[in-house]
Amino acid sequence: VPRRLVLLLAAVLAALPRVALALDLPVAARTLKNGLRVLVQEDHSAPVVSSYIFFRSGSRNERRGATGIAHLFEHMMFNGGKKFGPGVFDDLIEGNGGSTNGYTSRDLTAYLNNFPREALPIVLDLESDRMAHLAITPQNLEQERGIVMEERRLRIDNQISGLMNEALYLHAYVQSPYRWNTVGFMSDLQRITLAEARAYFESSYAPNNAVLVLAGDVDAPAAFALVERYFGRIPSHAPPPPVDASEPPQDGERRVTVEKTAELPALLMGYHGVRAVDPDRPALDVVERLLAGGESARLQLDLVREHELATEVDANNAWGIDPELFYVYAQARPGKTAAALEARIDAVVARLGAAPIDEAELRKAKNQLQSELLRGLKTVGGKANQIGYLEVVLGDYRALAGLEAAWEAVTAADVQRVVRQYLVPSQRTVVVLDPQPAPEAAR
Amino acid sequence: VKTALLLLLALAGSAGAADELRLPPITRTTLENGLRILVAEYHELPLVEFHLVIGAGAAQDPPGQEGVAALTADTLTRGTRQLSAEALARAIESLGGRLDATAGVDATIVAGEFLAKDLAAGVDLLRQVVREPAFARDEVRRAREEQAAGIVAALEQPSAVAEKCYAAFLYGNHPYGRPVDGRSTTVPHLDRGDVSDFYHRWYRPNDAILVVVGDAGAADVTARFREAFGSWEGRADAVPAPLPAPAPLTTRRILLVDQPSATQTQIRTGNVAIKRSDPDYLPATVANTVLGGGFTSRLIEELRVKRSLTYSAWSAFAARRAGGDFRLGTFTKSPTSAETLALALDVEGDFRIHPPDGKALAKAKAYLRGQFPLKVESPDALAARIAEMEFHGLPQDELVTYRSRVAAVTAADVARMANEHMPAPDTMAIVVVGKASEIREQLEARFGPIETIPAAACENLGTPAKR
Repeated sequence: VPRRLVLLLAAVLAALPRVALALDLPVAARTLKNGLRVLVQEDHSAPVVSSYIFFRSGSRNERRGATGIAHLFEHMMFNGGKKFGPGVFDDLIEGNGGSTNGYTSRDLTAYLNNFPREALPIVLDLESDRMAHLAITPQNLEQERGIVMEERRLRIDNQISGLMNEALYLHAYVQSPYRWNTVGFMSDLQRITLAEARAYFESSYAPNNAVLVLAGDVDAPAAFALVERYFGRIPSHAPPPPVDASEPPQDGERRVTVEKTAELPALLMGYHGVRAVDPDRPALDVVERLLAGGESARLQLDLVREHELATEVDANNAWGIDPELFYVYAQARPGKTAAALEARIDAVVARLGAAPIDEAELRKAKNQLQSELLRGLKTVGGKANQIGYLEVVLGDYRALAGLEAAWEAVTAADVQRVVRQYLVPSQRTVVVLDPQPAPEAAR
Repeated sequence: VKTALLLLLALAGSAGAADELRLPPITRTTLENGLRILVAEYHELPLVEFHLVIGAGAAQDPPGQEGVAALTADTLTRGTRQLSAEALARAIESLGGRLDATAGVDATIVAGEFLAKDLAAGVDLLRQVVREPAFARDEVRRAREEQAAGIVAALEQPSAVAEKCYAAFLYGNHPYGRPVDGRSTTVPHLDRGDVSDFYHRWYRPNDAILVVVGDAGAADVTARFREAFGSWEGRADAVPAPLPAPAPLTTRRILLVDQPSATQTQIRTGNVAIKRSDPDYLPATVANTVLGGGFTSRLIEELRVKRSLTYSAWSAFAARRAGGDFRLGTFTKSPTSAETLALALDVEGDFRIHPPDGKALAKAKAYLRGQFPLKVESPDALAARIAEMEFHGLPQDELVTYRSRVAAVTAADVARMANEHMPAPDTMAIVVVGKASEIREQLEARFGPIETIPAAACENLGTPAKR
């Protein structure tokens, strides 16, 4: 078995060769009796290991009144279990040469450590202690409540792009729990109770709701044995209740104005898109690159170069377990308006739907997607993250091998079809930032 | 004391095996025109990274032309003799590659990444961009207008405002206080002639460094670059005169930057400290790790863990070619602005008097040593570290010996670093960005009268007229 990432390069086409045909990242997989999924990717190029534990719970598993609890809980997980008390987790990780962090999204919560290979047993000891026995105390909750409120002020309340993103999801979704931001509403952060935190832990933090990924300088059989030793006795729990992500059909465009002190108008438009596992997702990925994949992409050429309206443009076909949004963002230059941005975006999207694109442009978009996938695998952390993410969101880490083929199969007709099907005004929410002058001048 | 010593010995004993980090050997070649080429082979992924360092940046902006180094870098990738701006972008992006030029204060970096199979195309695109930029008048105009708009757009980012205001407030009219993207008063006047002059003066091989890390043979790579850059003409005066060392502040100065709609206050504080090539840089980094690096630092413990005042707090030695600064940063909700600033200063001041004990020091060293392989794991990160080493004239075994040099840092070294290179709290420049009408009173109650300016005025803090 090759122990490095192997790329089987395709036969070279004359003018615009394709980037790659198949990506082979060997992974050994096991599932413990208690349901813990374990994935190991051996990479012996450096004496380091990355561990990622994914819990299949994120803000989509929350309910109104307790939004933000998944992320708040991510913070609480660093503050002690049974064997290791408060403050010990970070101390031991760093004292053994590792670094540690976590992140929460709508779909999942992930805990990561990057460390010298010698530290693997202590990392697994620490991780299993908090998975089984997190100390859910008033002190732990109160400490992290204040910190997370600062994080919300940083990322949403004092960050215009964060504010616009929150507004977009709140209006694009009516019923789905995707509608609120992962950081949660300030009033919910203020009132979440210890009992709610305990109940959340009970439902979400169980081995049968988790995926453990190790990438790096480990021997797979030895790693499985160690994982069994530290995690094998943690009991499984009843799985979390299923998420109702159903969404009433959208009958017409929704428009939202954000009035906030700012320098420049901006526009964020989100179209209802698809689940990450949907057969149309790869074609929408290609559309994302066609619209905003660099200086030669269509929105850049039109809004930035030709019409000189925007400081920046971006497009994102978000991936999710539930149907996500395809969104387009543009910030106006001084003196330009959000209406002008919108008119040009509409024209560019309409043109993409009106006629099939040529082979060279399609090839460029696919090459970009494929080389970006490769870039994400430069580090052991990147590999562990990618493997676990695919296991949770696409349902199978082996989806990695199929990503390239799925993009490769997208045709010009597919591009035209998905643009016409998804990027339509009646299925979008338009957030306009209307900049307000500062409430008072500096003295 | 005894337990601390034992712990240190234990760690030193286990250090031997872990120090056997194998880095790819670096093949060095100096062309006749002075261009230094450093190549390291990396075969994990089929990628090649280029990192070309031009030894001039915003510090070389002529007076009144602030922003021209950035504009030159930006326009560099907007068309060559053979390819229009659009055609060039399409050529790079069609290969799934990247090629960008970015000006800093001391240097400009042209960085590229291509698939290994596209090495020849990548070398040629880099050659065209560096040696044959078109600087078409219309492209210079576009880049200039985008740069001017970017200056306005950055005013919406509280942390970007804080960084810019801090540098200008601390360094004053030293080039390190100059905004790299220029001033709203200078950028609109920059033209093709300014860009072309800057390019012809400074984009020369005799003060340039080219680092290549990738899935290709060193001899092959060197030969290709010799062919592409061997006839690039040097110029004796392309080497900038060394900048004067910036002068440290001797008394506290404090500035309030008003953001009337803010609910959170950004804080930056620091003073002039060591340059990157100072032999104290490494032990100073070890000391700083205990104070404000990682997740278990004293700043994190006091500001975040114990009091929930912030989501983050950090300190760092921002070390450049001619000097640098020690800086500390955090943010908090408006009502706790003065409390947080005062506490951050207290923690730093206390650190100078009570440098770390054996256990905290051992942890910081283990952390730096353990994380090092991860810092040079990806080919682009390795290329950047090699370029940094060469640019600052560091020993050629800098990366190889990093972990053993960290292991050798003693408690006495750290105490000296804290005392000599971390500024006393009452000598620092302090910049607070937040809602003045809500936070000024609490700040003045603790720190005395404070000058207040709008964010847009920070770019003028370093102009000679102001000081």
